Amino acid sequence: MMEGRCAAESWAEFGLLGKSGTPLVKCGTGTDVFICTGGEEVYVFTAQEKTLRAVLQMPAAVRDVVVSHDEQLLFVACWSGVYCVNVQLLVPSFSHDAGSGPTELKISTECLVAVADRASSLLVVGSVLLTLCRTDASWSLTLYQIQRTSQSDPCDLLASFSLPLVSPKVQSDAESRCVLVCVYPGNLMPASSPPHPLRSHYPLQPLLFRRLFGAEAALSKSPVVLCGLPDGRLSFLPLRIPGSRLRILHSLEQSVVFVGASAVMETDAGCAGCLIALGKQGRAVLIRAGRAGLEGGGGTRFTLGCVPGPVECACMDQSRVYYSTGSDLLMVDLWDGSSGTAGRQGDKEDEASRSNPAAFLTPISLNVSGVVALHQPTYSSAGEVQLLSLSVRGRLQSIRLPVRTQEDSLSKRPSSQVGRSVGDILSAIGDICERASVLKTIIRSKNQILKQLNQVMNISFLLSNRSESDLKPVRCRGSVRWSRLLQRDSLNLTCVLENLSPFILERGWTLSVTVLPLSCPLEAGGEASSVNYSFPFSGLGPEESVEVSLPVATAGDASFPVTVTCSLLFSLWRFLGQEEATAPLDLQSACFSLPLNTLTVDWLDALRLSDPPAPARSSSSPADLLQGFISSRQLRCRGGGQASRPEEYSARVRVSSELLRDALGLAPGSPRVSLLEWLLSEGCGGVKMERKGIKTDGSSSVICGSAPDNATVKLTAEEVNVEEKTKPLVTVEVQVKSSSVAAVCGLHHAVMRRIQTLLQKAGSSRVVPTADLRLALQQAEEQRGQVWEASSVGVSSGQTPPLLLRVYQQLRDGPLLIL
Amino acid sequence: MIQSASLLESWTQENNQLASGCKDGQNEPNREHNLFRQRRWSSDFHKLLRKIQGIPPHLDRAQLELSVVYNTCVCFTAQSQFDEAELLLTQTAQRLLQIAGDDPGTSDPSVLWRTALKSVTGTALHRRVLSLLCLQWGVWLAKSRLTAVQDFQEEMSLLEAQSGAVWNDCRAETKEKISNIPILVLDPRRLVDLLKICTAIVQGAERLTEGWSVLSALQAASASPAPRALIAYTHLLSGSCLAHMNRPQMALQCYRKALETDPRCVCALYQSALIYSRLENSQAEIQALRILHSMLLLPSTTEPAMAAGRLLSPSLFLCSQSLSSLLSVPSALSVLHSLALKCVIHSRVSEGVECYLDLLAALQSEDQHGVHAVVSTLPKLPRLYLEAGAALLMARRPADCMALCDEVIGSTLDLLPEKVLLEDPVARRVAGSGEVTEEAENGLVRLLWTAAAYLLQGHCYSQLKDWKQAVTHYTRCINLLVKVHYKDTGFSLQIPCADKDPEQGVDLCVLQRLKGLSLAGRGISFAQIDRLREALRDLQLSRQAHPEGVSARRWYGEVLWRLDRKQEAAACWEQTWSNPIPSLSEALPVYAQELQSGPLLDSAELHQKLQELGPT
Repeated sequence: MMEGRCAAESWAEFGLLGKSGTPLVKCGTGTDVFICTGGEEVYVFTAQEKTLRAVLQMPAAVRDVVVSHDEQLLFVACWSGVYCVNVQLLVPSFSHDAGSGPTELKISTECLVAVADRASSLLVVGSVLLTLCRTDASWSLTLYQIQRTSQSDPCDLLASFSLPLVSPKVQSDAESRCVLVCVYPGNLMPASSPPHPLRSHYPLQPLLFRRLFGAEAALSKSPVVLCGLPDGRLSFLPLRIPGSRLRILHSLEQSVVFVGASAVMETDAGCAGCLIALGKQGRAVLIRAGRAGLEGGGGTRFTLGCVPGPVECACMDQSRVYYSTGSDLLMVDLWDGSSGTAGRQGDKEDEASRSNPAAFLTPISLNVSGVVALHQPTYSSAGEVQLLSLSVRGRLQSIRLPVRTQEDSLSKRPSSQVGRSVGDILSAIGDICERASVLKTIIRSKNQILKQLNQVMNISFLLSNRSESDLKPVRCRGSVRWSRLLQRDSLNLTCVLENLSPFILERGWTLSVTVLPLSCPLEAGGEASSVNYSFPFSGLGPEESVEVSLPVATAGDASFPVTVTCSLLFSLWRFLGQEEATAPLDLQSACFSLPLNTLTVDWLDALRLSDPPAPARSSSSPADLLQGFISSRQLRCRGGGQASRPEEYSARVRVSSELLRDALGLAPGSPRVSLLEWLLSEGCGGVKMERKGIKTDGSSSVICGSAPDNATVKLTAEEVNVEEKTKPLVTVEVQVKSSSVAAVCGLHHAVMRRIQTLLQKAGSSRVVPTADLRLALQQAEEQRGQVWEASSVGVSSGQTPPLLLRVYQQLRDGPLLIL
Repeated sequence: MIQSASLLESWTQENNQLASGCKDGQNEPNREHNLFRQRRWSSDFHKLLRKIQGIPPHLDRAQLELSVVYNTCVCFTAQSQFDEAELLLTQTAQRLLQIAGDDPGTSDPSVLWRTALKSVTGTALHRRVLSLLCLQWGVWLAKSRLTAVQDFQEEMSLLEAQSGAVWNDCRAETKEKISNIPILVLDPRRLVDLLKICTAIVQGAERLTEGWSVLSALQAASASPAPRALIAYTHLLSGSCLAHMNRPQMALQCYRKALETDPRCVCALYQSALIYSRLENSQAEIQALRILHSMLLLPSTTEPAMAAGRLLSPSLFLCSQSLSSLLSVPSALSVLHSLALKCVIHSRVSEGVECYLDLLAALQSEDQHGVHAVVSTLPKLPRLYLEAGAALLMARRPADCMALCDEVIGSTLDLLPEKVLLEDPVARRVAGSGEVTEEAENGLVRLLWTAAAYLLQGHCYSQLKDWKQAVTHYTRCINLLVKVHYKDTGFSLQIPCADKDPEQGVDLCVLQRLKGLSLAGRGISFAQIDRLREALRDLQLSRQAHPEGVSARRWYGEVLWRLDRKQEAAACWEQTWSNPIPSLSEALPVYAQELQSGPLLDSAELHQKLQELGPT
């Protein structure tokens, strides 16, 4: 095995890595290295002097960095687009003072050369800049012409190619990193290429090139761009062929992390005979040219292999791949040991040693942890391999690998293993038989799972394909009830989940109910916080229902109205159970949520009715009065005790009786009673209050009750004649009275909300009298002035709250007439 | 009312600030930054509008509201957000009707606008509503809803008639009290002018076949004040209309006028080339293609520079399908290819060779100009190489031709299949007509390329009179061609013809041709080295594979003559007099046709021989 250990030498610290960008180490001009730590900076580090030379401050998080072939321009991909920086700016004009520190450059939008939303990878081929972006429905590869004359001008767009997304599943943006590399036929590198080999540019053996990309690409000697996408597809685009488009070469079925090329045989003379792609979870594919004429025309061989994952980043030299799993740095020798002899020995031997994937991908640990970005390996004259890496803690390290001697490779195959007994083979056959039967049962259970997933798909389609307004085939009904437990009153919501669809909701489904109060008392910080309840259930057939109960509020809690959002969650984890879900599923794709309907519990729903007062007494009972007095007193004391007497607040709403009759279909006799009944009974937010029946005695239209904050409230409805311009109009006036401002506000809001639905039901094509409107508008303007005044004057004197309260009172007391 | 006035004033001021900022910013040259700025403008205007529309509509504020709606919609339109603009316009019309107290009871935009217009007739709002209607017109035009535009023809003419007077008033008013009048980002009169000519163009393109009525409308439009490029389009459309009416010469006049108006109107040139091609005036066609190609190579011809410095570019409204198909011009490379092909076919071989060499150089060069067309009409690269090779051969440059063929062979040879199995094309058509042959570069096509390359090399050697090498290469070609097998034994080989099956028909036809040509070539070569029996066999086979081959038949006669079967030879020759060697056509690749490159038999000599025979 490896003699000696590798030496890691720390060169610089850049602090912890940022989350928004992509950590990168890329070779730049000369010995410069460009480093991104996932934030908005690009560091320029000289490997020779081991000093930081410059820092580029970009306007957004950096995704990729690439240098043009003539090493004059640096392109940086950020979220908003691609920026171009002249490399000359990074070199200090006169000899670098030791004490002056790195040059700092702030890059502004003036350097923007291409607007590319969510550009994630860059590549320069000749004078063409390529960007790969993810749009909503596709991946798009865009080609820009690099401006030779002035670098600040935007690049001309040459062409754009797109590849539709496989599934529109939501991938987190940080994950959607792609790999862009360019391959050339033979050693036909572009004329303007620098002397040292470029990263992401590989010369490919002409035979392999022809077989992979066809005669046309070979004939035009066109560079071919390879894209490794996060969905595992490896696609290619020949650049110089008219009318070419992105086509799929292979699919790794896991996020592609690395694409590279390697020389297989010594006869390749600098061109790579093998393309390699590495997936996130360690799947690898080697693409080589098969023997001519063996399989007819297209003799390319795709060999699949596997390395222990996850693969964070990778790089490779002629025959070895170095990759980091995050916890360790590993080295894989692709043609281990026999690399020198494979070419000379017959193809048969070659085939045999390659056909077993497990045989060739056995990694050797280098014992360096936390590597997140790797730079292409370099060689010293003594044959030492040097890797530059960036660790998760933001440390730039130089890793030196010891020289590999010839003896290492020769001692790998002990001669004792060469003669293998027949017994071994037989037992191997037995093993395989056993595995086959296991696989059969697995297939059976997978089929079962597929059937159930089909149901899940059906339901998701049913639910996601409707807008909010339609009635969904799976929905929730709700009803509220006050209950007393341990001396505390609390309002309980009973949610009934009904399945009216023809499909069964099987395991894996969870009913999630989110209770979000509109507001919170100031003491609680003023920020409303939602409470989430989930109720897992299994097996809900068609026409069946499930009932769940949950507390919405307690007495004394005035944070109404409360929005109750119901949704169905489906979790692949729960669905598959423990034993099935061994494959690493990422959390986001394993779970999705389908919104059902939304219920609203408002003040009217939460109103507790008390007995109506005797008709003789106009005001409420003495006890109530007392109670009200005390509570308002308390309120006042808390508020600072400004007013001396308990104040009664009220709000009024007027609705034309004609409208009520039309909308509610009431008898013309007593609209006011029925209005109150309707207000209290009909749940317009989908929630029903369970009351024993509203006790209003015949003619009287007064309802008393206590609000959730224990304040007494009185709702009255009476008929009022209003003189509207010339014609008299009969209206019903609903008045809310209470000593608590909160209760008045809340009830007013609730009443208005219900009447709004009433109006929608009645149809809105009614004529609005202009004169009245003008008056109302004028009032509104006036009050706006007052509010303005209050906010400007009252800041210093502390008069603002009473003033605002007065305006509010005026607004509520001037009853809005609803026609 | 003081409060109300102050609100009104502050909103007006906000609008005016935005609008003047917008007007100032238009002249910025940088287009990327322009994009961001337009987004910002439209969102700013939209925010202001939402504030204004937050309260019920009222006559006092209608003027301001309509102006802001206008500005917002202009910004939306400039960014091609036509749906948003239309929604806004409909909402505004509804709010207008609320002020008036009318209820049309429908959301049909044309009814809405009619009622809205009627309700404001005679008031100060009239011109504002007209300018909004103008924008609605633009949206309809952009979405190619020409019937809606047609319906409003009457109102539009009203708009035009009134535009002068009303908006002049507006101008005067603006001068009076500058701060209280909301500014518009774009003068409605300019918008009307633009829309008028754009409508004429789009309508013309949609109804090209209708004849004189369209023509007169286009002529009228060409007299209106508009950018040169648009006027050129009207001439172009008139030309296309005339071409439809079978008046090619008049059409050519119109195209010429279009070019005179706007030299960048390359589509006129392209259309002229098409007409020349229809008239079979090959010299003029070649000339037109040559100019077209050199114009396409100039920078910025493809990009219409009409949008510079303006908020709304005409191209926003000119997006109808039939118009864009009329205005589209193939890429420079495609033009160069057809130029080369025309030259070769119409016996201007040396020019054709130059064009082909230019084309190949352009394809090889690093400069990517024009290669990335979305849809390319260029044939596949190996075919281009082979066509160029054929041209070189005709120009008697066999060494260059061989080099090109070597490249083709080198890139395809190891991709060739062992054998190609073709199914009965009738069965294929029934079974797999839905599946498009996605993999264009399939085995058969590659095989044909390689075979054609060998055939051309054979021709080269026979031109060099190296008969042995010629026989070798013809043999390689034949060996490749016989790898193609037919699955159905009952299927006869007579069927292949270019027009029967568009997918494989051409390939099969080329296959038969190549077979015939290569066998004929080998036969002729054998005849040259006096291996007459083999020559006779090959020429006989060639006649079976490709009965129309003229040189094969003549040489068949010649070989018979030499074998002293003079009567048969005479009969064979007699047949060939009636049909001379056909000239090259465009239906098939040039290399699959008889190139007259090999040794020729002098027909006078043949006649003499026949006469000698006659008396005996």
